[in-house]
Amino acid sequence: MVVTATVALLAAATASMILGAVHVPFSDIWQSLTGQAEEGPLRQIVVELRLPRTVSAIVVGAALGVAGALLQGALANPLASPDVIGVTGGAGFGAMLTLLVWPSAIALLPVGALVFGVTAAGIVFLIGWSGAHAGAIGRVILAGIAITALFSAATTSLMVAYSDRVQSAIFWIAGGLSSDGWSSLSVVWPYFSVGFVMAIFLARPLDRLALGDDVAASLGGRPRLVRLAAAAAAALLASSAAAIAGLLGFLGLVIPHLVRLAGGTASHRFVIPASALTGAALLVAADTLARVVLAPIELPVGPLMVVLGVPLFLWLLREAV
Amino acid sequence: MSEARLVATDVHVKIGDTPILHGASMSVHAGELLAVVGPNGAGKSTLSRAVSGLQAMEQGDVRWGGTPLGELKGRKIARLRAFVPQRAPVPAGVTVREAVELGRSPHIKAFQRPTRHDHDAVDQAMERTNTYEFADRRLTTLSGGELQRVQIAVGLAQEAPVLIADEPTSHLDLGATAIVARLLRRLADDGLSVILVVHDLALAAAIADTVVVMAAGKTAATGKPAEVLTPERLSDVWRVDAELDDAGALRVNWLGR
Amino acid sequence: MGPMNRLVVAVFLALLLFAAPAQAAPRVAALTPFSASTITRLGVRPVVVGQTLGGTDQYLASLKGVPVLTLTHPLGPNMEQLATYNPSIVLSSKTWQRGSAPMRRLGMKVYESDPTSVAAVGRETRAIGKLLGRTRAANSLATKIENDVRAAQQGIKRRLRVLLILGVGRTPYAMLANSWGGDVVAKAGGQLLTNGLTAPSGIVRISDEIVVQRNPDIIIAVPHGNPGAISKLAKYYASNPNWRNTKAVKNKRVYVATGNQLLQPYPGVAATIRSVRAKFLKNY
Repeated sequence: MVVTATVALLAAATASMILGAVHVPFSDIWQSLTGQAEEGPLRQIVVELRLPRTVSAIVVGAALGVAGALLQGALANPLASPDVIGVTGGAGFGAMLTLLVWPSAIALLPVGALVFGVTAAGIVFLIGWSGAHAGAIGRVILAGIAITALFSAATTSLMVAYSDRVQSAIFWIAGGLSSDGWSSLSVVWPYFSVGFVMAIFLARPLDRLALGDDVAASLGGRPRLVRLAAAAAAALLASSAAAIAGLLGFLGLVIPHLVRLAGGTASHRFVIPASALTGAALLVAADTLARVVLAPIELPVGPLMVVLGVPLFLWLLREAV
Repeated sequence: MSEARLVATDVHVKIGDTPILHGASMSVHAGELLAVVGPNGAGKSTLSRAVSGLQAMEQGDVRWGGTPLGELKGRKIARLRAFVPQRAPVPAGVTVREAVELGRSPHIKAFQRPTRHDHDAVDQAMERTNTYEFADRRLTTLSGGELQRVQIAVGLAQEAPVLIADEPTSHLDLGATAIVARLLRRLADDGLSVILVVHDLALAAAIADTVVVMAAGKTAATGKPAEVLTPERLSDVWRVDAELDDAGALRVNWLGR
Repeated sequence: MGPMNRLVVAVFLALLLFAAPAQAAPRVAALTPFSASTITRLGVRPVVVGQTLGGTDQYLASLKGVPVLTLTHPLGPNMEQLATYNPSIVLSSKTWQRGSAPMRRLGMKVYESDPTSVAAVGRETRAIGKLLGRTRAANSLATKIENDVRAAQQGIKRRLRVLLILGVGRTPYAMLANSWGGDVVAKAGGQLLTNGLTAPSGIVRISDEIVVQRNPDIIIAVPHGNPGAISKLAKYYASNPNWRNTKAVKNKRVYVATGNQLLQPYPGVAATIRSVRAKFLKNY
């Protein structure tokens, strides 16, 4: 499974580098990447457009896959995705605020999405980890649903209030990677890194949660802390992903399932890295298709990814009995 | 008798604003099977959770091998006691072996691979609980009795000297209950300290070395089954007409006639 | 007074009576700046107008004092508010399509008027005139607009390659030839970088690679923004690293369009064409 995912990712990344609206001969791509090419449009296309975009797709896809795996493990709920802890609602609101209310501050859009995504998750955690049943799964999920509803309502209100500008908002909601070079990635990479590093450390503690909080505590773990840490890492990853690529919730929900079905195990030491690989492969493949199918028009990658991912998922679901 | 592995004195617990325990005590030694009995709501489970460190105490003194519970965090307490909960979730996609392997986690540092000893401990835990034969089956395919033995195997893999089991038989049929009962007795005979929280008095009387009777949040009595489960106490605490016969079996006058 | 005279007077009075309703202006709600300006020029003062995009653009000075309706998705105006003005005709647009049925149920005649090309302005003007019973006035207005447009296109010297984008970040959401703005720029002598591309919405995201390859001489961004932020936005677009090597950036020809003239149709399109030529294309 890990080998398949790695091969798929490599293939997708290669395709992403080779294919595009402009035909670039393979030798030029190779020379550009190895630094032998002369300055010119082809080199710029390869080095400044395709390469950062491919890397962004890998990072975002991996982040969403890992975020989903972390949340589904932490909340012991197969339906958990970054939507559940308010990230999607918050990030969407942050982006709409920039796009609709302060369009002249458009440069701040990734920051808006990131800040509000993390804020929404923060509120959910604050509510979820307080009171009598602090950190209980039901409490966290309910808080998440309430906060998501709140931010969605705020987003809808914005869209109604600024209905003449909604067109620009729709593009963002559809989700997609931009070719803005390294600029977005250079802003959010620390958050990605923290999220990924946390995920690595959380794999074993999350496995212990599988048999319930009592067993986890019996084994010397701190289930509520683990759950909070996993949810926080997922919030960071998903918010950062939204900052770069808009709302691609589907990845976070489906990738971990896909990985578990294909891999035949639910151990997080397998599911987390495999989700990273698979998420990255699927997003890179979908983004390449989005750029190529109707070139030079670029399709929104969100819907396209669903079109790619759902049949694969349904097939696995059938195979798994 | 050897030094007690666990001594808990005057434990008080509140959940929310509701006092659950106000003055519960117990101690357990090597090779001892201690049954905590009492009517529903007496605080049996809460006591077992409190001494395990799973439930915060309001006051009281709990010492494991002489060390106060407050100083035993994480891996340290996990190496001293294993707690088998009453009803654990059954995760999809997890095999018996994977579950039992989790029991080794207090002994494996982050990013370390399990050693030969870890593998041996897992195998041994499965052998002792008779779960080895279905080691590669998924938890979701097991019967209630099999599942309960796997839960105990997880605790055994922990290799802690004290095993605390909270109502391990409450959902099992008679046959499965007997298997678990024999298993726990055998473990105690092998030197493990077993704390068994159970509402089944007949079972407790039959297999326990010591019985702790809980009533209304307090320990009402502690001692050998025959000394503690007197007709008067059974009548006081459970409001039934019952007694232990000469063979140690519980006779109950079910219809009060 | 002889009987003949009486008859003449009677016929005259009758004519006046019958003719009066035909002459009286219909009560028209004009939801778009295009329809509001058009009917004003046809001598019909709207009873109510819709707010302009972003609420920032000014209507004709002569429309001062006409009440303004807030428009929101998906219906457009609030039906109760609209009903209080009791319009018999609503000049709406495709954007507020879902509001048309409720308006018709309120007994209003609805016409969705939304020219997305310069050529459609004359056509739509005539259609609105017919609807209001101002056919002749509309014909002459349309002809005048068409003549003005032709005049505004005189003397185009060079056809430079233009990338016209909707100002949503630096991602190139290109306005195509079948969008209002795209057509205006094309008529003003710009050669759209997107060339033959069309899409139902008229706006589509295109590949940055194509922008690099086709190397536009001029980049015009049409933002939804306040006029005050224009210079800031211009700097933001000009510093897009992907456009670094384009002739537009090198020759400092990255522009930000103010106002909504490139976003939605106006009868004064000839003036818009002249202004695009003068400010952006500089092709006189």
